[in-house]
Amino acid sequence: MRVLIYALQTAFQSLWHEKWVNFLTILSISVSLLILSAFVTITLNVDSILTKWAKSFGLVVYLNEDLKKEAEETIKDFFQQDSDIIEVKYITKDRALMELKQMLGADAPILDDIGENPLPSSFELKLKGELLKPAIVKQKAYEIEQMSGVEEVQYGEKWLSSLNTASRIMKLSASFLGISIFIAIIFITYNTIKIFFYRRKEEIETLKLLGATRTFIRLPFLIEGLFIGVLGGIIGSLALFGTLSFITIKGAEFLPSIKAIMILLPVQIYVFIPLVGATMSVIGSFFAVGKIRY
Amino acid sequence: MCLCTLVPKDKMIQFTDVSKNYDEDVVLKDITFFIDKGDLAYITGPSGVGKTTLLKLIYCAERPDKGQLTVAGWDIKDLKQRTIPFLRRNVGIVFQDFRLLFNKTVFDNIAIALRIHNMHPKEIKEDVNEVLKDVKLQHKSNIYPNHLSGGEQQRVVIARAMVSKPTVLLADEPTGNLDADNAKIIMNLFREINARGTTVLVATHNESLFHGTGRKVMYLRDNMIEKETVG
Repeated sequence: MRVLIYALQTAFQSLWHEKWVNFLTILSISVSLLILSAFVTITLNVDSILTKWAKSFGLVVYLNEDLKKEAEETIKDFFQQDSDIIEVKYITKDRALMELKQMLGADAPILDDIGENPLPSSFELKLKGELLKPAIVKQKAYEIEQMSGVEEVQYGEKWLSSLNTASRIMKLSASFLGISIFIAIIFITYNTIKIFFYRRKEEIETLKLLGATRTFIRLPFLIEGLFIGVLGGIIGSLALFGTLSFITIKGAEFLPSIKAIMILLPVQIYVFIPLVGATMSVIGSFFAVGKIRY
Repeated sequence: MCLCTLVPKDKMIQFTDVSKNYDEDVVLKDITFFIDKGDLAYITGPSGVGKTTLLKLIYCAERPDKGQLTVAGWDIKDLKQRTIPFLRRNVGIVFQDFRLLFNKTVFDNIAIALRIHNMHPKEIKEDVNEVLKDVKLQHKSNIYPNHLSGGEQQRVVIARAMVSKPTVLLADEPTGNLDADNAKIIMNLFREINARGTTVLVATHNESLFHGTGRKVMYLRDNMIEKETVG
């Protein structure tokens, strides 16, 4: 406990004594964490938009022309009992024709020349959100297509694939940026603490000769790294909160719906950012102090 | 004959055929001597003969290449890295180059030795003030070392070495940079420390420091112990 108090005193003295170097380090960590958290916010928002789009995604199951009412009911029951399907909508031949006419608008009379309704009855199925992966949907479509009474299954295969790729790229980029920034913070703190360590080399040598343990020597540097990381994280958190608040308030003047569209980060993130800063900085400090040999 | 002279005293420092080389250079060769618990002894010889290296072997800043070395019961050759701090807490060192921390006051320079020992701040204050009285520097407690004379700086180093009440005190050329008056003060301090039971080993090239003291003196020449006499 006394060693901890001594380490705290030494760390705070060094923080104050080397205030400009520490200030620049803290600032670098803050900016790094701000960039990372801003990118995470963007990714979350893009992902949320993609998820909303994906919710409108459905499979259209066209039934055979001559399918009897009972068989249609059997197929409907099957879909309703399938736990992968969250919504089943039955569209009769007549309803399909009506919707087509509405779509064609002024050109609708051309359908009258055909005479008999050429459109088949169909089901519109919505799958669970977590199943909206190209491979899973393709398999599901194939399974449904094999059912008796089903003529064809159609869905926006390319659209789904593009959405999925976009979402994956965003998440991969966020992960890559995250790892890069974590490494950058480790290096930033490593360099700063290494400088302090070299500046105090004579003192450390004397402490070693007086019988100081490795913990006694290391602890002030680790605490200094911890404070640099925590302060960097707190400033990063505050900057992120300020930036997001500014965007939502100012953005609402131009785009009133922004508040409804935009996903804000959960409060825990503002605590998590200093924790990340602290952890990475302590790792950097640990490597900077290195192995102490007597 | 007094019976007590027949009973072997505890050996605080014991060198047995110790050799130390730096690459191809032989620094110490087949050194054998011992210093009893509670003794004040001197090691002397010309500059560069290996006196500092011999002291470094005792506080484990260097390891012997050959031979056996024990200090206060610790086997230096096989001492594990993590155990070295605990040996050094038993060995007070008065460095030739002082090794004072110039960003700390006299008080803090001495107190650091006790902080390493994890002592209570109240005890640290009491012990440091007491030792400052011993070296007659109580009025300079809050001064930074660069405002002290060479003799005063040396007394701070001695205070730092003795404050933790070590079992062994090593001094490397403690009067090298001092005038005769200051040298006398420093040597008196070592005698006082020794009188309290600490084993003291002084390395010096200044023969006047041990002449007439009646203490053990070891002469180093050509990297070996040339002779062992009484000063």
